[in-house]
Amino acid sequence: MTDAATTVPTAERRRRVLPAVASYLPFLPAIVLLGGFFLVPLGIIVCYSFWEVVDYNVVHRWTLDNYHYFFSVTAYVRTMWATLWVSLVATGITLGLAFPFAYWLSRYVPRRLRAPLLVLAVVPFWTSYLLRVYSWLTILGQKGLLNRFLQWTGMTHHPIGLFLYDRSAVILVLIYLYFPFAALTLYSSIERFDWDQLRAAMDLGATPFGAIRRILVPQIRPGIVTAVIFVFIPILGEYLTPQIVGGTGGVMIGNLVVNFFQAAEYTRGAAVSLLIAIFILLMLVLFRRSLSTREAYGG
Amino acid sequence: MAVTATPASQASEAESGRAGIELRGVTKRYGGNVALREVDLEIRDGEFFCLLGPSGCGKTTTLNLIGGFVGPTEGTIWLRGRRIDNLPPHKRPVNTVFQSYALFPHMSVRDNVGFGLRMDGVKRAEASQRVNEALALVGLEDYGDRTPAQLSGGQQQRVAVARALVKRPAVLLLDEPLGALDLKLRQRLQVELTQIHREVGTTFVYVTHDQEEAMSMADRIAVMNLGVIEQLGTPFEIYRRPTSRFVADFIGDANFFDVNVDGSVAVLSDGTRVPLEGARTSGPATLMVRPESLRIGDADSAPAGAVPGRAVKSSFLGTRVRVAVHTEASVVPLMVAMHGEAQSSVPAEDAEIAVWWAPEDAIVLDSSRGES
Repeated sequence: MTDAATTVPTAERRRRVLPAVASYLPFLPAIVLLGGFFLVPLGIIVCYSFWEVVDYNVVHRWTLDNYHYFFSVTAYVRTMWATLWVSLVATGITLGLAFPFAYWLSRYVPRRLRAPLLVLAVVPFWTSYLLRVYSWLTILGQKGLLNRFLQWTGMTHHPIGLFLYDRSAVILVLIYLYFPFAALTLYSSIERFDWDQLRAAMDLGATPFGAIRRILVPQIRPGIVTAVIFVFIPILGEYLTPQIVGGTGGVMIGNLVVNFFQAAEYTRGAAVSLLIAIFILLMLVLFRRSLSTREAYGG
Repeated sequence: MAVTATPASQASEAESGRAGIELRGVTKRYGGNVALREVDLEIRDGEFFCLLGPSGCGKTTTLNLIGGFVGPTEGTIWLRGRRIDNLPPHKRPVNTVFQSYALFPHMSVRDNVGFGLRMDGVKRAEASQRVNEALALVGLEDYGDRTPAQLSGGQQQRVAVARALVKRPAVLLLDEPLGALDLKLRQRLQVELTQIHREVGTTFVYVTHDQEEAMSMADRIAVMNLGVIEQLGTPFEIYRRPTSRFVADFIGDANFFDVNVDGSVAVLSDGTRVPLEGARTSGPATLMVRPESLRIGDADSAPAGAVPGRAVKSSFLGTRVRVAVHTEASVVPLMVAMHGEAQSSVPAEDAEIAVWWAPEDAIVLDSSRGES
């Protein structure tokens, strides 16, 4: 085949190349969409982050000042680390809850009951995001359900303000918001698992927990990685939840971006956004290996 | 080859003559369904034992009870005099070959086979040695580095056997291990499994619904139906001396007559009186005769006690010819098996003939038992 190709005259070759180009035509809408709505805006953000603002106007002068500024303010750097920490903890707990749920659903729940249960897990998505976050105010707030319950049982006499406006409240709401993503992703990869393998592992001397760790988890690693990506990345960029239930005590890096843009400091906001993007990119590169092992298992 | 994959450590502890596995009054209920009904069973140390029966008869439940994947509702299970029904699967000296093989797809063949040894904390050098021996035992020495997906069905099955045997269990449980394979391969692996059994000397408990498979491999067979053991015996006993209509029907082909026993004679429904071997209690019963025990001939030259009939159809099946004979003595046509080389004596269709058999080939079955 390759031997023949080298001796083919140019006219002949052109006749082959043209259909090859034509075969890419169906991708044109996708290329336009991806370019117009993703690559171009990303390019603008990259450019903005290296320009500067003078009198509320973006001036096309190349500089690293935006990055310098971000890292020179201790509060910003501290917020960055806090954001990472909150995202890690929230992702960890979300997956820690979603895994037993998905395991239980795919192993012990009769097939006909699984769909209704999955729908129940997704029902909150039918209401708006904002509504779901605000509803937590009525649970955690000063006059919220939790305080009223505690006062009713007599455990406290005064409302406790502690439940709201700190990082733990943010983490709690984030877990609530992202649990369905993790549960659905994990369920779809556990669902196809051959449970005889766990029985075989236990038959060969593994404890139940050891069988799950050595046999089930390695085989659903792509699903776990996908769940981590689905949960961790959006949480990194969260700004409404920390603003509503976190207050000043729960500020995350997304809030900084919003603040910068609202203050017309577009270039500084762009630099912070890009920092998040770079971090996510690094993480995806790290995870790429885990995702591609899917083929090694023969599907 | 040097085969050391014998259950040496456990075998030395065993006292000779003691039952390998014992089920005492075991009942297993799932909700309202009874899967196993007060079963008593003794499996001898080192024997190749088959649990045979149709789906839902309780054979797989019995296997799972021995393996520890389910617990008995009532009764106890013993292994070499030690009670094991209260032990979890990973604490029993019992290993299983699953119907789906349940190989671990993310591990190499070598790691699959070595998994049980790793769980036991066997030292690496010894484990490697034992894995090699187990792979050699099933003829897969050169396949250790492949993944299960790169093996054929028969090879995967062999890996499953090696993986279970490498732990030198006291008992190997096999749950329809050849069910997913085609006939030719199945027959070859049946021979291989019996050879492996002879080499390692471990007790094999083999579940199947295929009577031919059970007959060709087992030392003894327990035929199960509706949660009870219908009959337990060697393949010969179960085929030649079935004790119930269910067993006679399930193992091989059988012709049944509704008869009235009168001393040492059975009266067929068409009035023919056929002699029986030995005296029986009088009353209604079922008479069973295997197709190969039936003889065919002209009505004129037939001996006393021959059943008159008409040849309906004859089919050439290679090693034998099957002749269907319509008689007044049975509802369905009788099946007669003739030797394949006896072509000339096969009756023409619609020929008036007679069918008879030797008294010792007729089995009297209690008609009230084992209706399927």
